[in-house]
Amino acid sequence: MGEELEMTVAPDMVRNLAGAAVSVELETPDMTLNIGPQHPSTHGVLRLVAKVDGERAFDVQPVIGYMHRGYEKLSEVRTYPQITALINRIDWVSGYANEIPFIVAAERLMGVEPPERAQFIRLILTEMARISSHLVFQASYPLELGAATPLFFALRDRERVLDLIEMVTGGRFHPNFNRIGGVKPAVGAGPTTRKTIQDLPAGFLAETRDAMDRVLSTADQLEDLVAGNEIVLARTKGIGILPPEVAIAYGVSGPNLRASGVGFDLRNVSDYLPYHLFDFQVPVGEAGDCWDRWWVRLEEIRQSASIVRQAVDSIPSGPLQAKVPRIIKVPAGEIYVRAENPKGEMGYYVVSDGGLGPYRLKIRSASFSNISILRWALEGTLVPDIIAIMGSLDFVLGDVDR
Amino acid sequence: MTLSPSDAEMTDADGAGEGNSLVDRAADAVGGVALEALETAKVGVSADRWTQTLRIARDDLGLGFFSWLSAIHWTNDPQVGDSLSQEVTERFELLCAVSDVTSGELVVFSTDLEATAPTVDSLIEIYPGADWHEREAREMFGITFVGHPCPENLYLPNEFAGNPLLKSFPLLSREVKPWPGDVDVEEMPAVGGGT
Repeated sequence: MGEELEMTVAPDMVRNLAGAAVSVELETPDMTLNIGPQHPSTHGVLRLVAKVDGERAFDVQPVIGYMHRGYEKLSEVRTYPQITALINRIDWVSGYANEIPFIVAAERLMGVEPPERAQFIRLILTEMARISSHLVFQASYPLELGAATPLFFALRDRERVLDLIEMVTGGRFHPNFNRIGGVKPAVGAGPTTRKTIQDLPAGFLAETRDAMDRVLSTADQLEDLVAGNEIVLARTKGIGILPPEVAIAYGVSGPNLRASGVGFDLRNVSDYLPYHLFDFQVPVGEAGDCWDRWWVRLEEIRQSASIVRQAVDSIPSGPLQAKVPRIIKVPAGEIYVRAENPKGEMGYYVVSDGGLGPYRLKIRSASFSNISILRWALEGTLVPDIIAIMGSLDFVLGDVDR
Repeated sequence: MTLSPSDAEMTDADGAGEGNSLVDRAADAVGGVALEALETAKVGVSADRWTQTLRIARDDLGLGFFSWLSAIHWTNDPQVGDSLSQEVTERFELLCAVSDVTSGELVVFSTDLEATAPTVDSLIEIYPGADWHEREAREMFGITFVGHPCPENLYLPNEFAGNPLLKSFPLLSREVKPWPGDVDVEEMPAVGGGT
């Protein structure tokens, strides 16, 4: 055996061969790499067509439309109360939050003011939807980078939050809970007939306080798990930097915009829910990289949990529903109402002609504008960074295609 | 990384205020007219001033954030949905919402395009974010955006015939089985203490 392994080539010859190999420039054609369409259990069905030169990707074209359900068209043949059943399927990770701007738009056109208690319930559930959406991000993003452990912590607490949403609304993902002028009578409120059930289920407020404490401690655990992880830091710090001027020109909103150093939060600007009654802070990143986008969402979980606790402590008593006609007709007019959804600016431009349904409903969803940046953001990146950057933008394809 | 406190004071960002309100300022700056839209600043301009208007909005009014762009098909003869209660000239109304991420002000600019072969200049040079929104409006309404580098369908296959959001485009499911819309309105819960 030993004889076969003996070197038969002179050492200087090997050195020359190695030198020859280095000086050869390999001319290879660019490869077109197709990523997806991916299974719905991930972010939805997105396809990327990338040109790859070695390890770098160029001219990455996102191909969307796999989840297009035509909600703007369908809304034109539905009444206002029926439309909420459609629109909480736009971004299914935070279904409840989708309903709010539309309902508020219809209420403003009708001149209906929902009772204070109903507004507080809306606010509590919206912030819970934000927590559950950001917890999904906290679960899936490290997973996309190769870390499985945070998933179990994040999804455990997301389930607690979804249980609370289900307790009030009867649905985990598609609550369809808002009514024009208030909220639906809660399920499980008491052993009475449907018409007399008028309030939150017993024990909801106490359980919410408890769940928010757990969410806060889970946020600390997630930070311990991820923030000190050298691999995560190497994969995210300085990767996918989104300068604020680019983000603004593309209409990137929500945590992605705030990670780029723009402290813009519609909760401070628009009065669709009574956020001015609560103390909270708006986390703002500095570098605009993947790491900042992760950090902003973690911090927003803490802020939302704090808002929910304040709201639970100060919720006024009173009715859940303002007086509205039995058949909802919205007076002629136009309005644009936007809200700070977990993914960013979500708004509805409602054109009413005084009928039972809108003449035209334009749905402005956050993820659509947020991923229109992908072509810019992925230009010249390393192939493994495509996943890191895409994941950090936290989009849902239902929110892209509508 | 910083935490900035939330503003306790609500700003009049939706432009519903009186006097020298956002909608009047915007209309003066671009030479347009203030249009009726509840709580929303809406300014109408002519189609030939479309790109010029949005350039002024971005550079002089500080409305650098591209929110959305879409259209409305105004017609008295819809195949889907209810008819309009009053006569309108058939046309497309192109809407573009831009906002300021410092003050939160948002203005919706509007222009009318003729019903046959609607054409307007693309905004992509001013707002790169207009790219997908214009492709969507082209696909859904058949509006041509002059200067758009990629006039291809975004959602549907390129071979798809027709523009789905036109009021003249029938909704096939409704053709097969009409929805009993107005008998389907749900009951509202009782108000107050549950009587």
